[in-house]
Amino acid sequence: MKKYWRCFVCNDLHYGLKPPEICPTCKAKNAFVEISSDESQKIASATRIEFNKEKFLEAIEKLSEKNEFQVNPDKEKVKMLLDGLFNNEKGHGLKYCPCRLITKDFKEDLLLVCPCNFLIHDTYKEKGECWCGLFVRR
Amino acid sequence: MVRALCKEMKMNKLVMFYARECPHCNNMLPLVDKLEKEEGIKFERLEVWHDEKNADLMRSYRPVIAPKCGGQLKTPTFFNTETNDVLCGEVEYKKLKKWAMKK
Repeated sequence: MKKYWRCFVCNDLHYGLKPPEICPTCKAKNAFVEISSDESQKIASATRIEFNKEKFLEAIEKLSEKNEFQVNPDKEKVKMLLDGLFNNEKGHGLKYCPCRLITKDFKEDLLLVCPCNFLIHDTYKEKGECWCGLFVRR
Repeated sequence: MVRALCKEMKMNKLVMFYARECPHCNNMLPLVDKLEKEEGIKFERLEVWHDEKNADLMRSYRPVIAPKCGGQLKTPTFFNTETNDVLCGEVEYKKLKKWAMKK
């Protein structure tokens, strides 16, 4: 089961099975201590980061930089999908894929949060794009 | 049960589950219009991200739809409430027509 971890030097947070050996922020070694989910949320909420469509687009373009895929060059399609993602976040809590429907089982629905793990999906393997078409193979 | 629900809702037997911000759905909607005009048939267009009733209806069909759509509820999904026949995703007009006209 994944757990929450906090760097005791710089308060960096990590969510995973194991903590990083070296803190990616302050570079301290073996500095992560396990904490509760409540504590991690309190620490995370101290830093409020707004994320608009432009910022999200920047983030997924950055994600794509060192991968075999890219954000679809069709800007109109991307605009429609970003509208859908942000409408879904506003209305349903997370940036769920606009081309799939949530089941209302939260754990299962986490698989639909964009970007999803589309590299393993048949549509990417066969057509070179994720189901909604936001990401395409280069 | 599905048929009974559709009858109760006076739904057309051909249903298109779509999402407003789904590019594939937006590409398919004009093809559905064309097919309706050409063949005199009617699809029930049900938007699922902005209409919770439609979303619940699609979710109620999950056992029938999901196995034919890679295990998930994807849009667009074309569904025949009488035969439980399912067609998923963006397809060519010819394929949509063949599916819709199947008895």
